Amino acid sequence: MIKILFFGSIAAKIGRREMMIDRCGLTLADVVKEAGLETFKPLLVAVNQQQEHDLNILIQDGDEVAMMPPFAGG
Amino acid sequence: MNSDMNKQQDAVRIQEADFSIEAEVDALRATSKRIGGITTFLGCARDFSEGRDVFSINFEQYAGMATRAMLSLRDEALEKFEIIDLRIVHRVTTVHAGDKIVLIVVGAEHRGPAFEACEWIIDSLKQRVPIWKKEVTPDGDSWVTEHP
Repeated sequence: MIKILFFGSIAAKIGRREMMIDRCGLTLADVVKEAGLETFKPLLVAVNQQQEHDLNILIQDGDEVAMMPPFAGG
Repeated sequence: MNSDMNKQQDAVRIQEADFSIEAEVDALRATSKRIGGITTFLGCARDFSEGRDVFSINFEQYAGMATRAMLSLRDEALEKFEIIDLRIVHRVTTVHAGDKIVLIVVGAEHRGPAFEACEWIIDSLKQRVPIWKKEVTPDGDSWVTEHP
């Protein structure tokens, strides 16, 4: 299972904070598409709490993927 | 857990509760008698933004990643600047106009590096720490997207 987390304006836009995907062999780009965010810009993505820029990496069973709008702390 | 890790986690915190500027400055001063200058940056909640009133601001974080990003900023700042120690505290809760949000305290032998590090840390925090804020305004809620 892949756990997807949504934050900030993205969570508000899609009306949920998390979802699970039970599929193997997905790239990060596939996961973004499964989440329905392939046209959301700018989109920041983290895999297991590390920001990831390469959408071609393979996502593993048990990974946690975060979909994040640009940060706005401070 | 060793004492260095405890010290590091105390120096970098994300919390709901308000914080004391004096307590944070005193804690920094206590780390070294070589500190000759301390700079602080305090971020506060405004009651006006983007041409409209702001009633309150709700903060949200990616727990775990946000703390790690702030710890990483601390480590990088200690490497990058001629400073002795620093503290970062960020609140994640609902705040109202005038409330404290974020505090950065930097100690160095001399003021120059302390000022430089303080500015670098707040600029980097806004770009690298997964925290978001939503302003509650008379026109409705509005997620803040820019980091000026």
